[in-house]
Amino acid sequence: MKKTLLLVTLCCLCLGFTFAVSAGEKKASYNIALAVYGTKGEYVQMWINAMAEHPAVKSGLAKTTVFDGEYSHIRQDDQFNTIIAQKFDAAIFIPIDSTAGGATVKKSVEAGVPVVGSNGPVTSDLIVSYIGSDDVEAGYLVGKAVIKAMGGKGNVVILEGPVGQTGPMQRGEGMLKALAENPTVKVLESKTANWSRNEAMDLMQNWLVSHHDQINGIFGQNDEMALGALAAVKSAGIQPVIPSAGIDGISDAVRAVSRKEMLISVRQDAFTQSQGALDIALRHLIGPEYKPMSECWKLYPEMPWGDGTAKLYSVPWTIVSPDNADKFLEEER
Amino acid sequence: MNGTSFNTRQFFQKYGIFLVFIVLCVVMSFLSNVFFTSMNIRNILMQVSINGILSIGMTFVIITGGIDLSVGSVTAMAGMVGASFVAGRHPGPLVAGIGMGLVAGILAGALSGFIIAKFRLPAFVVTLGMLSSARGYCQLYNNGMPIPNLSDEFLFIGQGHIYGIPMPVVIYLSLVVISWFCLRYSRYSRYVYAVGGNEKSARTSGVNTARIIFSVYLISGLCAGIASLILTARTTSALTQAGNGYELDAIAAVVVGGTSLSGGVGSVGGTFIGVLIIGVLNNGLDLLGVSSYWHQIIKGIVIVLAVLLDSFTSKRSNS
Repeated sequence: MKKTLLLVTLCCLCLGFTFAVSAGEKKASYNIALAVYGTKGEYVQMWINAMAEHPAVKSGLAKTTVFDGEYSHIRQDDQFNTIIAQKFDAAIFIPIDSTAGGATVKKSVEAGVPVVGSNGPVTSDLIVSYIGSDDVEAGYLVGKAVIKAMGGKGNVVILEGPVGQTGPMQRGEGMLKALAENPTVKVLESKTANWSRNEAMDLMQNWLVSHHDQINGIFGQNDEMALGALAAVKSAGIQPVIPSAGIDGISDAVRAVSRKEMLISVRQDAFTQSQGALDIALRHLIGPEYKPMSECWKLYPEMPWGDGTAKLYSVPWTIVSPDNADKFLEEER
Repeated sequence: MNGTSFNTRQFFQKYGIFLVFIVLCVVMSFLSNVFFTSMNIRNILMQVSINGILSIGMTFVIITGGIDLSVGSVTAMAGMVGASFVAGRHPGPLVAGIGMGLVAGILAGALSGFIIAKFRLPAFVVTLGMLSSARGYCQLYNNGMPIPNLSDEFLFIGQGHIYGIPMPVVIYLSLVVISWFCLRYSRYSRYVYAVGGNEKSARTSGVNTARIIFSVYLISGLCAGIASLILTARTTSALTQAGNGYELDAIAAVVVGGTSLSGGVGSVGGTFIGVLIIGVLNNGLDLLGVSSYWHQIIKGIVIVLAVLLDSFTSKRSNS
């Protein structure tokens, strides 16, 4: 009996809240769900940590809850049911699968929870906005830099991300684009090392045996794998090291660039993708009088805030080279 | 039945998997002219060392009829713990990094073993729980971030050489020899086989079965701790997502090596061959430039074929 009473009270409270919102009254605090595809990687951790530093989160204007999708679309879809049931004010979504994520967004928006996309694109025109970086371009930048260091000729190997995911496919597309512009450069091998440094090290060791000294460049679809391949090159005693480049800008890669072992890392800006997404969500909930609170909008002249309602915010990639690597290392501390 | 034919069958039963390995090597050396080079053989041994060490612990566990699904996560966790003592600008002494990594592995194994032995829960469930918890702890330990900047003496474990032999290979081969002797000649090993063969009759004949079961998970945890040192030193950072799926590679190697999943049968020598078969296969398919898709299909087929052949020869000799 007591339980029923409690439930009824809770329901009334919830209804009250709903009315309050629909009446257009401003809330003191907004509950934002952070539906991320998985929390194991360093990148998503940086993204989550950046969110915790957002001025709106610190001041209590936004209350965020992380939903760990555990690298499964089904898991993410289930979590959106919870997000809808708990009546979150908005969700920020990093999908594991951009195509399947479209239906999830539709469900959420129809149930009254607006969705802001971040980091990975989702195939849907119902999202409030998407803030992320173009993976095709990142692959292209890696390809261009390595080919340039090779003097525009020779053979390369490509370390691919997990088969069938959107990110690796797009990064691969960009790499092929760079190769198409330099038809003299041949791809000797292209195989997955599943984002893993250790797997890439084994793979590269084997390739160094089967291709002796024919490998002139290494394309890593992420930094972890580029670092693994680099370690194999170093342990085989090859001097100078084969030019290699990766994507993400993780700290180990930045250090390797600073030591001039790795050519470049194409750095993805977790801070901007994360904090920018929250500003966009709050602008959508509060209205035009909301002014963005994050510092990230001052970073890129080519990505202005506007009035916070653009459909696409394309966060530029930053090339980490020996010239600026130390700056990034200092920022980390 | 005359003596010679009996011996042939026994030979096949005992060394069938070894023949599979020889055939695989011969095929590979025909397909790739670099397969049989000292450089490549060193690479193979290096690449199998981590899976090999995990498989040693797994062999003990599976002989008792159990299973340890947590080894991959425990490896990652022990790596984080160990690395944290030798990281940064003022790293601690090498012995702290090694010691704490091993302790973390042993504690995780001991906890699983205690719960399995004390409360008689299925090992599958308990170690599945440990798989998840250890991975979570791994992320909790350093707020989800990797631990880079490890001291050079620690990195030596994964990257150094002794008389031209890589350290991981030195460690792995010594562990194979030690555990081979232990499992062949010690009284302890007879209890391990007895528990796996028939736990009830082992107990009635006076074996402290709970203690034996507890001990094999502890050994598996210790092996995960040792593997973590190599893995962390090889990748130069402790990574939270390291060791994902390693448990399945270890189980595959043990089973290919002729250890029965129902317990009571198995050997470290067999597991060694099982580890090599999987290692040679991975290496060979990379050398031949086989695509990722086919790589997985072929690997799956060879694992099943090897066990099929093994069960075929042992059934024939039993009848």
